[in-house]
Amino acid sequence: MSAPSVAIIGSGPSGCYMAQALRRHWAEAEIVIFDRLPVPYGLVRYGVAPDHPGTKAVTRQFERMFERDSIQFVGNVEVGKSISLEALRAAFDVVVIASGLHGDRPLGIAGEDVAHVYGAGRITRLLNDHPDEAGLAPRFGRSPVIVGNGNVAIDVLRLLAKAPADFHGSELSEESLAQLVAHDIQQVHIVGRASAVQAKFDTVMIRELAKLQGVHFEVSADSVLGEATDAAQLAKLEAILGLTDRPCTQGARKVVFHFGWAPQSIHSTHGAVSALQVSDATGNSKVIDASSLITAVGFQESSGSSLERERISSAAAQLDKGLLDQGLFCTGWYRRGPTGTIPDNRNDAKQVAEHIVAHWGSKVSAKRGLQAIAQGLGDTVSYQGWTRIDRAELSIAPEGRQRRKLRDIASMLKLAQTTRSGEQP
Amino acid sequence: MNIKVIYGTETGNAEMVADDIVEALSDDFDIESADMSKVSITDVSAENFYFVVCSTYGDGELPNSAKPLFDSLERHKPDLTGVRFAVFGLGDSFYATYNKGSEIIANAFTALGASQVGERGLHDATSGDLPGDVALPWAKQVLSAL
Repeated sequence: MSAPSVAIIGSGPSGCYMAQALRRHWAEAEIVIFDRLPVPYGLVRYGVAPDHPGTKAVTRQFERMFERDSIQFVGNVEVGKSISLEALRAAFDVVVIASGLHGDRPLGIAGEDVAHVYGAGRITRLLNDHPDEAGLAPRFGRSPVIVGNGNVAIDVLRLLAKAPADFHGSELSEESLAQLVAHDIQQVHIVGRASAVQAKFDTVMIRELAKLQGVHFEVSADSVLGEATDAAQLAKLEAILGLTDRPCTQGARKVVFHFGWAPQSIHSTHGAVSALQVSDATGNSKVIDASSLITAVGFQESSGSSLERERISSAAAQLDKGLLDQGLFCTGWYRRGPTGTIPDNRNDAKQVAEHIVAHWGSKVSAKRGLQAIAQGLGDTVSYQGWTRIDRAELSIAPEGRQRRKLRDIASMLKLAQTTRSGEQP
Repeated sequence: MNIKVIYGTETGNAEMVADDIVEALSDDFDIESADMSKVSITDVSAENFYFVVCSTYGDGELPNSAKPLFDSLERHKPDLTGVRFAVFGLGDSFYATYNKGSEIIANAFTALGASQVGERGLHDATSGDLPGDVALPWAKQVLSAL
């Protein structure tokens, strides 16, 4: 038996956990993780909020994997542009797609195409200094409205409501902070379809809000709280109501939760959002003034993605096992949809890895792997190249920040001293 | 002396610490690691010394992989008299429930008669320290005091 050559598309948590799991099965296999960006770690770097450095520390595991378990990183390679999926599959015995879900799911209501309506994915990428969003300058205005009650919605709420001084110890850049403070935000409304006890966010996210300085929390009088049926729901409800017990301070920003209200339509003036109309389960409706609207109701494939799952799945696909076609697999959000946090994607990768190993069986590797395609990849970034970027980002961190991210791809490539295709790194 | 390093994890960080401890001590001891989800209470024996490495998850809860063993300890209440163990916790001081998970599992062991050796080691994710850099000196100190 010889181990297969493995290409993993995407270096976020799902891709890294997949490499880790496959390495445990196949000590000798060539395992290469490709990323379209010059830098690794996907949503750990660009999705986890910049003020959650403890969560980002999971990268320590992945660093070790690259440094000690001979997993290769090849950055700045976009499958579908730098190389076709077909060519990648021709070079590697096993290809695993772990590219996640990049697009913000729309609300699907009237008026969504007006100005000042933003997807939460774009906003969190922007505030995490993602190069893709360099041109985005959201007009939050004085009273933004957030739609959604998941952890991403609470991340956006916290980032909008937080006082500048409270970002001490985070990775928030001066540019991102400037985006947040430019609007003199007075109040933030957050609207969720579910009752308070059934809201999707984790209770720990609500407890964190209690630490914000200068923020006054309300739950709208017409909110649906629901009946807690277990200890977890009770804890969630108590945490939410606990927020509203805090004394109101002068000049505080106001945050208002609306539980049990679903978005109906977006009102606009002069082409920009002015209000959100919402309705409850009994058909009552109300209008909430909105200087901007941030939708946080999940993620989906970007339109025009070269890795569209439907299109590349064969008749033999078994999505529950991560199988898309002969030698082609997938894991993480790309496989199961946009639910679950980092640990869920670790479990997902471990399970799909078992299926990959079983599927491979005792076949003999017939493909040359990276060396077969290296010539045509253009400027790529190795793990060594990333460590140069990483060290630079840590060394230029200003006072009170853990890191200062490079914000554009050209600077990243320059610092990484990219490897021309075909050369040894 | 046989050493078992058992870990409860969600993201794999506690597993990494367990691997570090095994690697650092394997020249001098008969030592191996196991996910707590694969450890049954009948495996827990006074003939071994245990390093229990455990993270905290959610709202101050045990990580998923520690829950089956914990539930089994609670339900069957085995007598762990004579069992010696030390606990290393991973957490994030950013949250009020910092390192609660390792405390829960340590209390479960001691309540059944096991004796905890040394102070609980703690790693704080917000500190930026490498978990292994904190865990290894701690583990060596625990063993030197045995």
